[in-house]
Formats: sequence, C-alpha cells, structure tokens
Amino acid sequence: MYDQTITTRKRISSAVWAFVVNAIFWIVIPYYVGVFLSGRVPESALTVPTFVYEFGILFIVLEVGAAFFRGRAVAVPMISAVALLTVIYIWYATNGGVLGVETSGITLALNFRLMLYVLVLPSIWAAIRAPLSYLVWRRAMKAGVPSAIATSPVPESGSPPLPQK
Amino acid sequence: MGIWALRGVTVAIALIVLLVIGTVVYSAYVDYSAVKAELAGGSQQAVGAAVLRGVTETVSINITVPNKGLYPLNVTLTCDYPTTNVVCQRTSVDVSPGGQGVLRFRMTVLDVSQFESSSNQVVNGTVAISMEPFVGLVVGTNFGGFVKTGGA
Repeated sequence: MYDQTITTRKRISSAVWAFVVNAIFWIVIPYYVGVFLSGRVPESALTVPTFVYEFGILFIVLEVGAAFFRGRAVAVPMISAVALLTVIYIWYATNGGVLGVETSGITLALNFRLMLYVLVLPSIWAAIRAPLSYLVWRRAMKAGVPSAIATSPVPESGSPPLPQK
Repeated sequence: MGIWALRGVTVAIALIVLLVIGTVVYSAYVDYSAVKAELAGGSQQAVGAAVLRGVTETVSINITVPNKGLYPLNVTLTCDYPTTNVVCQRTSVDVSPGGQGVLRFRMTVLDVSQFESSSNQVVNGTVAISMEPFVGLVVGTNFGGFVKTGGA
C-alpha cells in the first residue's frame, strides 16, 4: 500500500533491512558457496567469480537507495536500475545463453539464448513498469481518484502528496 | 484502469515464463529418459555394426530417437574434420512431438591398417541435439572409438 507519510525512522529501518538481506544474498551466500566448493574439490578451479561480488555491491547500493527513498519519485529510477542490472547479471552469468565445458576430450556446448530472452522478460518488464506505475499513480492523484491511490501497485514509486484539486 | 492493465501484463508475463520453463524442463527430462531407455534397454534398433571389406571398414549406427516431449527434436551427427582416410556422412533426423525417428549414421574408414597404425586415431565428431526452438546441446567427441580395430 502506498504510504504518503513515511517517517525518517521507517526509511532508515527499511534501508537497513534491505542492506542486511542483500548483503546476505549477494555477499555472504556466494562467499560460503565458494568456501564449500574449494573445500570439496581443492584441486579444481571452482570458485565464485569476482563479478558476483561486484554486481552484489551494485545491487546492495541500489536496493538500499530504493528502500530509503521508498514512496518518492527518486526511488523509481533505482527500482528500474535494479531490474536492468538483473538482466545484465543474468546475461553475464550465462554468457549470453551459450555455455561450454570441456572435459576428458569431450566438449559440451549448451545454447539456450531464446530461453534466456524469456527468462529476462520479467526483469525487463519490471524496469518498464516502475516508471509507468508512477505515472499512472501520479495521474490518478491529479485526477483525485482515491481508489487508484489506495491500490497503487508499486508502493516504492510514490512522491510527496500533490495538492488536491 | 491503468493500474489493472499493468497488473494484467505482469501476470501474463509471469504465466508465459512459467509455461515456457515448465514445458522445456519437462520435455528435456522425458526426452532424455526416453533416449536413455532406448540406448540402455537393449533395443535392437539402437545398434552399431562394423563391416570390413578388404581394408575398408564401414561403420553403421542406427539409433531410434523417440520424442515424448512437447517440442520438436532435431538430432544431427557430423564429423567435424574428416581425414583423408575417414569419410563420414552427415546425418540428421527431425522428430515431431509424440513421434520417433531413426538416425542412420555411416562412417567409412578407407584403410583400416593405416588407421590402426596412426598414432592419432581420432575422428572429431559432433552430436547436436536441439529442442526447437529453445535449447540446443552440442557434444563434441571422438568418433574414432566406433571403428573396430582388428576387423569387425
């Protein structure tokens, strides 16, 4: 639900919560997965790539920003940026839908580019939906439609209350 | 109105993604199981034979490819770099959902004794399996193992 009167205290707690959750998801879990893999197969080169942490830091910054500015227009580009970053991350992690491995004289190449387009579709839509939702909500505010305000689908994409006509 | 339209698009996209992923995973699983059963189950159709005539050996492999999945299946066998001594026929089969096809692969070794004496008995081959249009798997391996050295 869109909340027009978010207190600073609530913003900070949301940001801290976003930081903790994203830090666990993007830093702590990959780190322990890397430790687990290197412990299980010490001679192999199985490690968590550095780009996971780099993307993780970007995700944390954007998510914390979006949480802190929840209910304001400035949160909209952050929400879109997170969605677009997710697309880039998935594309990068899957090498554009073409994965290959070579072992014991056998080479395996998996091509699933079209599948990848389908997989990133929700994130692309999320990036588009955030500003659209904001615009719809803003138009409803100007028109003075309370039901539209009460059922705003993107609580993070609000702005300070506009004067009612 | 606008809000509900946006929600509708979100739900539609989620359903499409779930549908595609679900059907692709299901198809991959049942196709893999069917082909595995075909190869391991002692089917008489999935056999290879090597016939030696003089110094020339012809390797024939017939594999029945069932498609129990929901997407068309294409299986192609090719030799990547046929040597002057080994001639391969590129073979391919398209199997529609619910059907089955037979893949007939022929490889001819013109001079077996020369093949045996060579230090590098490698015939690079490729097995390409694609579940149209979403997923394709290419396996590069050595087809030289199909040749029965010392005759058939």
